[in-house]
Amino acid sequence: MNKISRYILVFITILAASVALPELYWLAFEKPINAPFTMYSSQEHDFFMIKREQGETVRVDRKGNEYTRDEFELKLPMFFSRQLALNGTLPDSLNGVALDLHEISRARSSFRFRARDMQTPTPELYPLFESESGRANLEMPTDFFRITHRMEFLDAATNTIDERKSQMFTTVLNNRDFNYPAKMIAGIPTTRKSCDEGYFVVDSKDMMYHVKMIKSEPYVRKIEVPDGLTFRHISCVDFSDKKYYSYLISEDDGLYILTQDVYEFIRWPFDALQPETDELRIYGNLFHYTVITRRPGYQKAMALDTEYNKVDEFTETWKEREETKQGKIASFIFPAEMRLSVPTTNFIDFYGERTKKFNWVFLNLFLVLVQIIIIRRTKLKMQKNILDLVIVGITGIYGFIAVNFFQNKFFD
Amino acid sequence: MIKSIVYKEWIKTRWFLLILTILGLLAVGNIFLKVQHYITFNEAHNYWYLVLFQNQQYFKGLKFIPLVIGLVIALVQYIPEITNKRIKLTFHLPINENKALLMMLGYGVAVLLLSFALLLIVFIFLSQHFFGAEIVHSALISVTPWFLAGLAAYFLSALVVMEAIWKYRIAYFLASAAFILFFFEKGMAGAYAPLNWKLAVLTLLISLSMTFSAYRFRKGEM
Repeated sequence: MNKISRYILVFITILAASVALPELYWLAFEKPINAPFTMYSSQEHDFFMIKREQGETVRVDRKGNEYTRDEFELKLPMFFSRQLALNGTLPDSLNGVALDLHEISRARSSFRFRARDMQTPTPELYPLFESESGRANLEMPTDFFRITHRMEFLDAATNTIDERKSQMFTTVLNNRDFNYPAKMIAGIPTTRKSCDEGYFVVDSKDMMYHVKMIKSEPYVRKIEVPDGLTFRHISCVDFSDKKYYSYLISEDDGLYILTQDVYEFIRWPFDALQPETDELRIYGNLFHYTVITRRPGYQKAMALDTEYNKVDEFTETWKEREETKQGKIASFIFPAEMRLSVPTTNFIDFYGERTKKFNWVFLNLFLVLVQIIIIRRTKLKMQKNILDLVIVGITGIYGFIAVNFFQNKFFD
Repeated sequence: MIKSIVYKEWIKTRWFLLILTILGLLAVGNIFLKVQHYITFNEAHNYWYLVLFQNQQYFKGLKFIPLVIGLVIALVQYIPEITNKRIKLTFHLPINENKALLMMLGYGVAVLLLSFALLLIVFIFLSQHFFGAEIVHSALISVTPWFLAGLAAYFLSALVVMEAIWKYRIAYFLASAAFILFFFEKGMAGAYAPLNWKLAVLTLLISLSMTFSAYRFRKGEM
């Protein structure tokens, strides 16, 4: 039992060291890696980027030509319209369309999705706003709903179920053939939005429903989803142009929009998204959408016109952390790194990552030699320490620390 | 024999156990006084909103309480044993040495579980009074690692205290401290859902760890 308890302690120490040592290393030596900020110019019909190089902000086009700030902003009138209007340099028209600041800002949208928006604990209770209260501002309701074996409203002040309201909504859901429980509930649960469009609810058989409350009455609409199309994530949006309710990511990683009022699913011609790891940014304006998906060391930008047809695309790569000087040194020290939190998910777990190159093999072998010397010097029997050597050989610096913290000295 | 070992452990720990548990209960009470105070001034649905969507963690006052209880109980239970090497008397008792140690450990675990259960029951009861089941559930996921940390800290403190050589005592302490950090990672309410069972298994595994330093102690490794 004493030997088992030693190996348990060695194991725990390896685990703790594989989290703590890389964390300390990167805390001390990590340097920022700046991903470029890419925009599609509706005037030049080309991509432009803002980058950080050697601590300096540089503005370039796709060919690498540098621009001053003023020149750069003139190339991108849809992104810098307010600044250009202030300077008096906003063009009167672009692509044959007269430019008006109000119209520009109405058509402008900005959206960001991170993998952790999808991989996150869900609240399971949501506020259902009154969509047509006749008031200028939305008000936070005093109850929250859940959809489990029925739709229930829970009053916060008394922490009890509002039976009347729950039955009213459940009856309507039943009439629309809702299959309990809800698999996904997506909406914008805040009063800080222009208007309320309720929630998009996916039932247990992947049917989609639009659920709202209008003048205290339920509004439930079953949405026709094309056969076989199921979604893994829905992000509702509140853009001034009111063209669509939400961005949706399908099971096969397609990017869709759900159009306002007519409930049509339109797939955008954008197939580079890996939603488990990527960050997605979408910037819309009068003429184009710039869609960008980004992961460490890589991004793909695509320009779509307002009919969602592909106009242009541009892929960029840069050095990720592993390829920097600090990353290379780390690859000689750590055979793997373990983290409890990673940027791609809000869940805490053991996230291990093996070091890509095998540079650490040298240190591991060296530490095995050191361990053999330690065993010799302390006059321990070699055959009883084989397992220790194997541990050091595999786990390197972590195992070396662990087996020496908890000495293999038994008297039998 | 079992009775006398339990009685000896009880004499060592009773006051600390009682006072810490009472302080823990007061801390739990304080959490809900704060909740009630906020609700009185800002209405319940606004507080629920903060908890559900703004990551307001009403339970965060609990964070280090089980850890402190686990640590203190381990210290008051095992420091007297190594003072003047009194534990050697226990090893001369006519029972298996590991069995005697595990009985001491079993006593510690039992009283800790009792104390933690009391805190948890009061916490759950009051949570259910103020919040819906979903909120209570994600709060429980978040406080679980803190209670496991109390047990893990108890086992690892026993290990550190029973080690006779200072050099190794410091090494054990460093390894233990790095491990205990696993239980206190910052995150959203409910974020620990995938890790909790793994932490529970690890905590169960290290429950045996103290026998390692006790073995070294009685074999005269010092």
